[in-house]
Amino acid sequence: MLSLNILIVASLGYAMMLFAIAFWAERRARAGRIGWLRSPLVYTLSISVYSTGWTFYGAVGSAARSGFEYVTIYLGPTLVFIGWWWLLRKLLRVGRAQRITSIADLISSRYGKSTSLAVLVTLLAVIGSTPYIALQLQSITLSFSVFETGGNADLTAFWVAAGLAAFTILFGTRNVDANERHHGVVTAIAIEAVVKLVALISVGAFVVWGIGGGPTEIFAKAPPELLRGDTIFTARWVSLTLLSAMAILTLPRMFQVIVVENAEERHLATASWAFPAYLLLMSLFILPIAIVGNALLPAGSNPDLYVLSLPLANGQNNLALFAFLGGFSSATSMVVIAAIALSTMVSNHIIMPLWLRFSPQKTETSGDVRTILLRSRRLSIAGILGLGYLYFRITGGSGALASMGLIAFAGSAQIIPSLIGGLFWRGATRTGALLGLVAGFSLWAYTLFLPSFEGSFILSQSLIETGPFGIESLKPNALFGLTGFDPLVHSLFWSMTFNIGFFVIGSLLSSPGPLERIQSSQFVDVFRLENATGSYLVSRSATSEDLFTLAQRILGTGPAQRLFTEMASHQGKPTGLPDATDKLIQTLERELAGSVGAASAHVMVSQVAGGGTVSVGELMKIADETAQILEYSQQLENQSHRLERTAQELRAANAQLTEMGAQKDAFLSQVSHELRTPMTSIRSFSEILRDSKDLKLPDAKRFLGIIQEESERLTRLLDEILDLSHLESGRGHLPLETLALQDVIEKSLNATSALLEEAGIDVRLELLNAPLVVKSNFDRLAQVFINLISNAVKYGRGDTPTLTISLATKNDMAVVTVVDNGPGIPVNDRKKVFEKFTRLSAANLAGSAGLGLPISREIMRNLKGDLRLLSSREGARFLITLPLARE
Amino acid sequence: MTPPDLAASVNRKRKLRDGAILLPLFGAFLLLSPMITLFVSPASLFGLPSIFLYIFGVWFGLVVVARAMARRLDLG
Repeated sequence: MLSLNILIVASLGYAMMLFAIAFWAERRARAGRIGWLRSPLVYTLSISVYSTGWTFYGAVGSAARSGFEYVTIYLGPTLVFIGWWWLLRKLLRVGRAQRITSIADLISSRYGKSTSLAVLVTLLAVIGSTPYIALQLQSITLSFSVFETGGNADLTAFWVAAGLAAFTILFGTRNVDANERHHGVVTAIAIEAVVKLVALISVGAFVVWGIGGGPTEIFAKAPPELLRGDTIFTARWVSLTLLSAMAILTLPRMFQVIVVENAEERHLATASWAFPAYLLLMSLFILPIAIVGNALLPAGSNPDLYVLSLPLANGQNNLALFAFLGGFSSATSMVVIAAIALSTMVSNHIIMPLWLRFSPQKTETSGDVRTILLRSRRLSIAGILGLGYLYFRITGGSGALASMGLIAFAGSAQIIPSLIGGLFWRGATRTGALLGLVAGFSLWAYTLFLPSFEGSFILSQSLIETGPFGIESLKPNALFGLTGFDPLVHSLFWSMTFNIGFFVIGSLLSSPGPLERIQSSQFVDVFRLENATGSYLVSRSATSEDLFTLAQRILGTGPAQRLFTEMASHQGKPTGLPDATDKLIQTLERELAGSVGAASAHVMVSQVAGGGTVSVGELMKIADETAQILEYSQQLENQSHRLERTAQELRAANAQLTEMGAQKDAFLSQVSHELRTPMTSIRSFSEILRDSKDLKLPDAKRFLGIIQEESERLTRLLDEILDLSHLESGRGHLPLETLALQDVIEKSLNATSALLEEAGIDVRLELLNAPLVVKSNFDRLAQVFINLISNAVKYGRGDTPTLTISLATKNDMAVVTVVDNGPGIPVNDRKKVFEKFTRLSAANLAGSAGLGLPISREIMRNLKGDLRLLSSREGARFLITLPLARE
Repeated sequence: MTPPDLAASVNRKRKLRDGAILLPLFGAFLLLSPMITLFVSPASLFGLPSIFLYIFGVWFGLVVVARAMARRLDLG
């Protein structure tokens, strides 16, 4: 048997070691060498503060009494942790963004930084945690008692409480800022986590293979009801799992290690599987230990202490001592963290507001407040441990460990509706949270907490048994006549029903204040908001995906992908999305501004990246609508452009028509004039021939000659008019052939040779040696040349009349110049030469209706060439261009 | 080098996230529904009762899947 002295020395030695480790870690952190002190492993191990003395001793007791039920306490947290992405990550992000210091701070902050809520949650946390701390003291004193050393349990509990208070004050209140982590404490807790795991597994291995004879034999010894279905899957099974899932989030110490002491959000990714694995290992041997303990130890042994009594009964003193230290670790780590968490809450939410209100001199220098804060925290720690000790003394160490732990769980779980609602429901309000919390806690206290004192505290035994004033339906453990359920399930059902009911109805019937609104969006939309406190907050958030989706909606997939890939490579990331840095947001805003305008782009991007209460979903809707409107307006714009173009074309066509109408009028009047002249002479001469009786034959012949000449002129005129209208309408499709220009010119000169000779015109030809081949119509081309030559003959007579025809090529075009040395065409008339029926100046020759040049130009245009009049100082200079034949 | 398909990677991440939300629900279905009663039988394997194997097997499976998912989610 181990003596009390050995136990005390071992405990003190172990405690000294923890002090030393905490001290060393604190020093190291101060020196900036944090390193592995802040690794995912340490984080995970610190979360295992969840397994307390209750787990270490009580779980075996629970397994010995009710079989598999103990597993539920670990399955709940397992489900919460494997679902980290959904809930814990958000909790952590909110905690970091809002610099949350405790669960009370979180609830208060969410509901408009309400002081009343903070005080309420703090008080409830203290009330709920007191039995839990007492539980740890009890587990330590119980473990002492196993060794039958004869020590005084109360005294042991007192010294344990005092020692823990000293440790907590020493390492838990080194600094004021709760966001500055307690490196020393957390490191010590991590070491304790390892000790308790190894101790429990060692005992388990010893029990299973050392004395139990292997798993097969052990389970063969198991009482059959242990493995019966109706004892496993019950309302209690489901309730306990849900309860433990809720408790891991709301227990003040769990919130402290998970959220407040978290150094980096990504540590949670490791803890998400490592912590459930830790719990799995912790619970693996519990049932075998319980079975073996039930089978081997004498009846009446306390099942809560099988972990110690089994090795002791088999003479394994060292293993028992190790197990004792494991249990000591579990209990002390819980108390230390709980004391830190609760003292932060009490000092921040109760003592400080009171002190600020009642301090006489109202000094608000920071140094002063700092001292007050530290002092109030130290006092709170002492007070909380004192309360735990008091509870232990009042309850006299009665009750199984497990049931005491569950009472605390059920109390802290009352925070869940306000917490989950606050994180995911924008409409949750302060009023709802207050009502829900008060209702839930009242019912918890009435149906579970107070009855646990069995009549020694507030509720008398008779009240518990018969209900207040003998009203049966108000009996604490059969409220409203609900019977047939386990007291825990009964209490959980009623407290949660009223809690959630009041919370929801209260939230729906009240409206939040302005600060509440801001905070609600800060909480609910924490992943969508870029916080000003640093890029850390956005770097791993979903924001860059949201931005990408937004960009995709507005810019289109291709451009958005290009933009983001480019930004990612700018940031030095070879693959994946870029981090949502300010630069990315600015760039994106600029890009979007090109599509939706600067103001809308700014609103959209700042909604995704910055403040504002519009959700991304709503934003997407806006973006979709904008894109649709954009598309629609673009269509409208295109259409109006088209309409404008058409209108312009119509206007031009109208102008052209008006002009053409005017031309037609002019043309008709010209034509009628031109036709009238020959007609008049024909009519007058034929009248003379008819009426003159004494007309001589030669005269008659001359007159008839004139009539014939005029008729011919009339015919020619009509032919020309027809030809011109034919050409102008573009219907005169001229057949094309390959020909040499020189041949055409020669033919034209031959045709006009008589005319030229008669006028004595000197023709000069500057033709090229090589034949200039064009694709054209020979006869029509000849017609143009003849026309120009005869024009020169008619008008272009100089002193020694010359006519020069020269050939050249220019840019795939053949160029023919026809120049005479006559008086030329006055500048004013140059435009008119191509107008119909224009006769220039007085010079007029019979036989031409003045349609030669217009016809020639129409011919050239029909042949894809042109006829122009060049300005020149002397003589008329006509230029013919027409395309060269392609090879 | 062709640029990585961002649309596909966003889609993949979304699926991973859906999985991360569904995993605890699936775990709850296995452990908190009448499913569990199917394994409460006197049958045993390697000397371990089937219910023991079921609970710890599911537990272990959840840890393994959560680990695989956490690594991918953390990388993204």
